[in-house]
Amino acid sequence: MLTLALAGNPNCGKTTIFNGLTGSRHHVGNWPGVTVERRSGFFDGEDGPVEVVDLPGTYSLSAQSEDERIAAQFVADPSVDLIVNVLDASNLERNLYLTTQLLELRRPMVFVLNMMDDAEKNGLKIDLPALAKLLGAPVIPTIGNREEGLQALREAILQVAKGGTPTRPPVSAVNYGPDLEGQLAKIQKEISRDEELAQAHPPRWLAVQLLEHSGTSAAVVESSHARKAIQAQVKESLAFLEPHLGADGPTLVAERRYGFAHGLVEEVLQRSDRLHWDITGRLDAVLTNRWLGIPIFTGIMILVYALTFILGKVPQDWIASGFNLLHTWAGNRLPPGELTSLLVDGIIPGVGAVVVFVPIIMILMGCIAFLEDTGYMARAAFIMDRLMHLMGLHGKSFIPLIMGTGCNVPAVQATRTIESREDRFITILVAPLMSCSARLQIYIVIAGTFFRPVQAAFAIIAMHILGFALAMLMGKLLRLTLFRGENAPFVMELPPYRLPVLKSTLVHMWEKGSVFLSRAGTTILAGATLVWFVSHYPGIANQSWSAELHKQEAAVRTLHLPAPEEAEQLDALELAHQSRVVNNSLAARFGKVLQPALAPILDPTHSRPEAWKDSIALTAGFVAKEIVVSTMAVVNQAKVGDRDGNPDASALQETLAKRSGLTPLTALAFMVFTLIYTPCLGTVGMIYKETASLGWTTFSVVYGLGLAWLMAWFTVLGGHALGFS
Amino acid sequence: MSQDQPTPLSDLHPGDAATVFQVIATGKIRQRLLEMGFIRGAALRVEKLAPLGDPMELVIKGYHLSLRREEGQCILVTKEV
Repeated sequence: MLTLALAGNPNCGKTTIFNGLTGSRHHVGNWPGVTVERRSGFFDGEDGPVEVVDLPGTYSLSAQSEDERIAAQFVADPSVDLIVNVLDASNLERNLYLTTQLLELRRPMVFVLNMMDDAEKNGLKIDLPALAKLLGAPVIPTIGNREEGLQALREAILQVAKGGTPTRPPVSAVNYGPDLEGQLAKIQKEISRDEELAQAHPPRWLAVQLLEHSGTSAAVVESSHARKAIQAQVKESLAFLEPHLGADGPTLVAERRYGFAHGLVEEVLQRSDRLHWDITGRLDAVLTNRWLGIPIFTGIMILVYALTFILGKVPQDWIASGFNLLHTWAGNRLPPGELTSLLVDGIIPGVGAVVVFVPIIMILMGCIAFLEDTGYMARAAFIMDRLMHLMGLHGKSFIPLIMGTGCNVPAVQATRTIESREDRFITILVAPLMSCSARLQIYIVIAGTFFRPVQAAFAIIAMHILGFALAMLMGKLLRLTLFRGENAPFVMELPPYRLPVLKSTLVHMWEKGSVFLSRAGTTILAGATLVWFVSHYPGIANQSWSAELHKQEAAVRTLHLPAPEEAEQLDALELAHQSRVVNNSLAARFGKVLQPALAPILDPTHSRPEAWKDSIALTAGFVAKEIVVSTMAVVNQAKVGDRDGNPDASALQETLAKRSGLTPLTALAFMVFTLIYTPCLGTVGMIYKETASLGWTTFSVVYGLGLAWLMAWFTVLGGHALGFS
Repeated sequence: MSQDQPTPLSDLHPGDAATVFQVIATGKIRQRLLEMGFIRGAALRVEKLAPLGDPMELVIKGYHLSLRREEGQCILVTKEV
């Protein structure tokens, strides 16, 4: 099968070309070992399918970032038959920099001049035949978002693959000048001594990369038997060149490459003097304006937030009530027993807890893709970077953090837009500190129970502020400790504003939703089942308890009470049974063991013999924070709703006030703990998906727990110091 | 016409034009700046500062780019007068 790699700069419209070439026949995965998305798809050639692999958009192949390393490795991989280099016709010189590197691989190539319409609007005329001649390969003009030129591209690809078109420039692509060329020849000679190495990597490409100090090439050479001779020659060459030409290797190479790109552009490009309509300049005059920039950005954020969490709540509620119906239906229809409980109390709510995120994920990712495609995303980072940089983060970290106040799950996913690994990981680790709407439900019940109304409102606001403050603090702390190293460069292109293509946005939304279900979903479901197990065993398997329940139920039925009264008594029996199971579960035993550890924060005066019950609720909260409240109800034998399942907060609050034994101070500590400790399985699943690392996922859970304990303890200490009890 | 004394790019004001004299950054940032077109003699123009004063927006090689002040300090330019 023919395999082609699609390479190009960020913002050159590569993904649109990819979508156009492959239609819906594509698959999204990850490159091995990293969380960079790998898109691959097919189109039909004459001799069977042609595989298209979309490389991450990069400005270069010098392997400074994860993206570049992947792209550099893949284009040099023997499995690639042909490289398609997408160029933004309206920004040719900078785009050709990458081309100079690709040409050195001496592989069959096809060039795509995309965004021809933009170039024309900007008064640029490109001599296509001349460009094709200079590059030594076909050049196909396209307008990706109108799917123009794609058929010609497919034909050119197939023809080059068949060897029908000469594809190699007669001379080496970039001429580095006599001094560099002389040294490159010497390095190439040393490389050629290792036949295997020279076969796998074009010697010239490797030689240039070595002069540039590329990390991957150094690693490639490290495994060669000729490494000593090669390394010695590189050292000697640099020692000769640097004083002689007055600059170091990377500078010399970059200068010659840009020299080549510039020369090429001069030959093929005609600029008309006709004044063109500079849309980008005019929009930026407003959108990144000194006074208007921030208000407009705030407005856009409010709009995205409203679309995601207000509009998204509608389908979310449908899904939730659908699962509730299923839960009730299955609970009534299936014979009571362990398997039924696994299904009704474990799997159905677990799957529900996964699926319920899909609408908000799709909407938020759609909004972000839209902003990204228009070019506004880079402006948002430009506007917010100062503030975010103070917290050790990147301008692009702002949107994930703000969206975290709605739901942490899509917030963690939204960190994908951050290029640097360090910035992205720090944002992933602090985003769960943003107080999400599920946590709000807990605050409302707890604060409503233990505080006067005005105090309660203050306490709830204080939680949100505390979350944001901790995110800032931890961001800075993580940057200074675990992610110290070298700061990733901010250097960010502000691409021209463009009208996004609806199809691309929809494809993107679909991908994000389905990838979440397939990858994060399994983690979440496994976790939900585990939590069900520890909070139901061994009690659920206790035959005599269930026999007792049936006996009591039968006894109530023989009384022939009026229907509502009978139902109420049956419910009370059922609740007492559930409470018995949960309060004797593994989670409860664990809670009792842990009680000394939790005592300083939840029972500082040792006046609450049943403080261990809180830990059951907190354990259940691993699945989803809203479950904390319903579990508190079960362990305290409080009714949470009427027969129709409508929640009745006042009954729960009454029971909590009477039975839980929390004081206003420990209630506040409980809220603080809830804010900070492990967000929920949805978020943990997403963190695992986005970091692709069990280590970092575990770290996020453990540091969350530790920080939660610490902050709750400070709350209690501070409260005592101020004279509260 | 250009002044002889190179100044850090971060000292330039919106509207200023300059040519790159030397990139004095090291490591990853150096490589990235070179790739983005900050090579000796490249012409650039400062467009504006972000609303909070940092980063700055500039035009180089015909496209728009933003840089933090601390990165701008690592690029020496000669200002056009």
